[in-house]
Amino acid sequence: MSPAQLPSRGDYFKQWRGGGKVCAVFPAQYPKELLWAHGVLPMEVWDPPLAPARAQGHLQPYICSVVRQGLELLLAGGMDEVGAILFPHTCDSLQNLASLVADYLEPPAPSLFFYNPKAPFAAAAKGFYVSQLQALEEDLTLIFGPAPEGAMEQALEWSRRLSELYAQAYARRAAGELGVGAEEFYRLLRAGEYLHPRDYIPLLEAWLNEAPAQGGPKGQGIIISGVLPSPPDLMETLDGLDFRVVHDDLISMSRRLLYPPPGQGDPLEALAESFLAMPPCSTRGSSLSERLEWLKGLAQSGGAQGVVFSVVKFCEPELFDLPELRRGLKEAGLPSLVLEVDVNQEVGGQAATRLEAFGEMLS
Amino acid sequence: MSLSAKARMQFMKDLGFPAMLSLAKATKGKRKPRKANPDFGPPLRCATRLKEIMTRHYYLSRFAPGARPVAWVTSGAPVELLRAFDFYTIYPENHGALCGAQKMGPELCAAAEDEGYSPDLCSYARVDLGHFFSGKTPAGKLPKPDILFCSNNICQTVVYWYKVLAHRLGIPLLMFDTPFNYGEITEANIAYMKDQILEMIPVLEKASGKAFDMERFLRLAELSKSASQLWGQCLETMQARPAPMTIFDAFVHLAPVVSLRGLPVARNYYEILLAELTDRVERGIGAITNEKKRLMWDNIAVWYKVRDFSELFAARGMNFVAATYTNAWAETIQHLDMSHPWESLAKTYSLVILNNNLEHRLGLMEKMVREYAVDGLVVHSARSCKPYSLGQYDLKRLLSQRLGIPAVVIEADITDYRFFSEEQALTRLEAFFESLEAA
Ligand code: SF4
Repeated sequence: MSPAQLPSRGDYFKQWRGGGKVCAVFPAQYPKELLWAHGVLPMEVWDPPLAPARAQGHLQPYICSVVRQGLELLLAGGMDEVGAILFPHTCDSLQNLASLVADYLEPPAPSLFFYNPKAPFAAAAKGFYVSQLQALEEDLTLIFGPAPEGAMEQALEWSRRLSELYAQAYARRAAGELGVGAEEFYRLLRAGEYLHPRDYIPLLEAWLNEAPAQGGPKGQGIIISGVLPSPPDLMETLDGLDFRVVHDDLISMSRRLLYPPPGQGDPLEALAESFLAMPPCSTRGSSLSERLEWLKGLAQSGGAQGVVFSVVKFCEPELFDLPELRRGLKEAGLPSLVLEVDVNQEVGGQAATRLEAFGEMLS
Repeated sequence: MSLSAKARMQFMKDLGFPAMLSLAKATKGKRKPRKANPDFGPPLRCATRLKEIMTRHYYLSRFAPGARPVAWVTSGAPVELLRAFDFYTIYPENHGALCGAQKMGPELCAAAEDEGYSPDLCSYARVDLGHFFSGKTPAGKLPKPDILFCSNNICQTVVYWYKVLAHRLGIPLLMFDTPFNYGEITEANIAYMKDQILEMIPVLEKASGKAFDMERFLRLAELSKSASQLWGQCLETMQARPAPMTIFDAFVHLAPVVSLRGLPVARNYYEILLAELTDRVERGIGAITNEKKRLMWDNIAVWYKVRDFSELFAARGMNFVAATYTNAWAETIQHLDMSHPWESLAKTYSLVILNNNLEHRLGLMEKMVREYAVDGLVVHSARSCKPYSLGQYDLKRLLSQRLGIPAVVIEADITDYRFFSEEQALTRLEAFFESLEAA
């Protein structure tokens, strides 16, 4: 199994649409298991490669490119054939985008909302999360019909298996036993943003079985932190400069993928427990000390020498945490570099030069 | 809490501050009064009292540490809870507005930027962090907090900002998580908020060293409610033609309901302000001398331009008579019901404008346009404030279409004037004035 064999988002969507139901999902955290249980394919919308045009009329220039690109996709007709659009509560901008779309932009499909409680989680957060799951479950039933018997159990099984596979991929990479570069690693893992687990699990298993243990980049070990592994040329640049990405702390990746597998027992309770025990994240309001300890732990486990923060311009949750994280990392002997990126723009030569200098500094 | 600190604070309250005030009055008496602008009616007499109240609040705050537990609080947090434990409260957003009005925004923002904070972040936060790093403030000195109290009913930004403070100061952060109302408020949301409030009580007992007293809480909540209601009535006087104050006055007279809600001083202040405004309405005294057009403002003030804007509009006979911003501290208070204090407190704080969907905001704006007989809308697109600003382009378009009133968007910031292009704003406003005059 090689990344080249992965179906593209567009092809997969077309093929799925034949007999299936699709829900477009905005960032970041949502209970995908509920959608699977209803036979719905979540199509995550992070960084569609479109030239910004129509979205400009609705958004000020100081709104981030993730929101802008997501809206652009919707306005360009990219969600015309989905059955619903889900907006998890992630930040102020996505919150208002949800309202803007639902209230004024006549979306092609009904809007669904999901409020993720914010840390420090009160004792009441678990019960509240369960109530959110129930509300979403009702909405999904109304739109897509009820989940067939046993479908929720099957969805949780997929979720547990994926949790294992993700953990395995990250652990092997951190231990230097996965001989692939960042571009390949993230291409494979990002396929989970649009492939159904029935198709994705075997692909991921095959990839993990076939991926070489050696042969990846050999240079300085780094962690990348930020929102998502985008723009794609950033990963290519890191590989080109021979950086060993030993771990990440990205909202779209390890902060969501390294979730504790939902346990047995009541499915909704299990999902709530899994959510509350996820790795710390700015968008969930995790404290800075938690985030700092987490980052230091990641660096230690993979032998990283530095951290590259790839921050989406105007992303408040990430930008606020940045100075204290950098300060704490510096005190722990971990230098860092900040790149401000737009998901729809190439990182360019200047960023490459800065990364090169950073690599030299680490050596 | 130490006895000596308490005694010192009491002394400053009883003697120190009054003495300082008399001295300030004596000096002021010698200053030449500013020349009256013929475009404006007589200034509000209450302005002097307001200045005294706010100066006293900031002045006494210096003596609070050790005498009273100190909390830094976000403007939308249910402060009534803290009042029951006798916290001295500081509102960094109000302090941000003060710094903005004193044109200190860029200097303090730059101090935060020197520490790595992006210029793209909310400038209230940057001003506050800049003050934290540099110690600079027009308020003399702010007391260090013992706890931080934050609610995300106005934005998630305050959570990120207060997390930084909690980390730097090594103090507890109490967070009141208010799920965003995408549609109607739900029972599950209310139950979640109520449970959080109940969970906070033992934490506050520990932080303050005081046991919770329900009767005291209800009394203070009642005070808070009456201050907010009186503030709402003050705003309603602007329905009169001519309006007895402008929204630029209201931006300033808002300070007690934001910062001193739940204390007798705020309620008493709005009683006298309301009396003065009612008297002006009865006597037909307008805030501006020739009120030809009545406008509504959307978003937080452009603090460094309040005076310039008020003069610019008054010179054209245009008065701002309503604003979604000033209304925010009055619009939900009717939900506060002492027979169901926790559920109603949750509702009061969850239903505020910024925790509600845009349809709610549009409905509110339409209602205000009608009730205040508004002729035009000025939308401040504030790069600091994403929850207030994202969606404004469509709100402006829809409001104009539905009600047939001219509207304009000006791109600016609340305190950081490095992001304000006067020329661009004036060009847009000139076009707006023309369409308004032609209407
Ligand atoms: S200005 Fe907006 S983003 Fe900043 S603290 Fe106020 S509500 Fe939050």
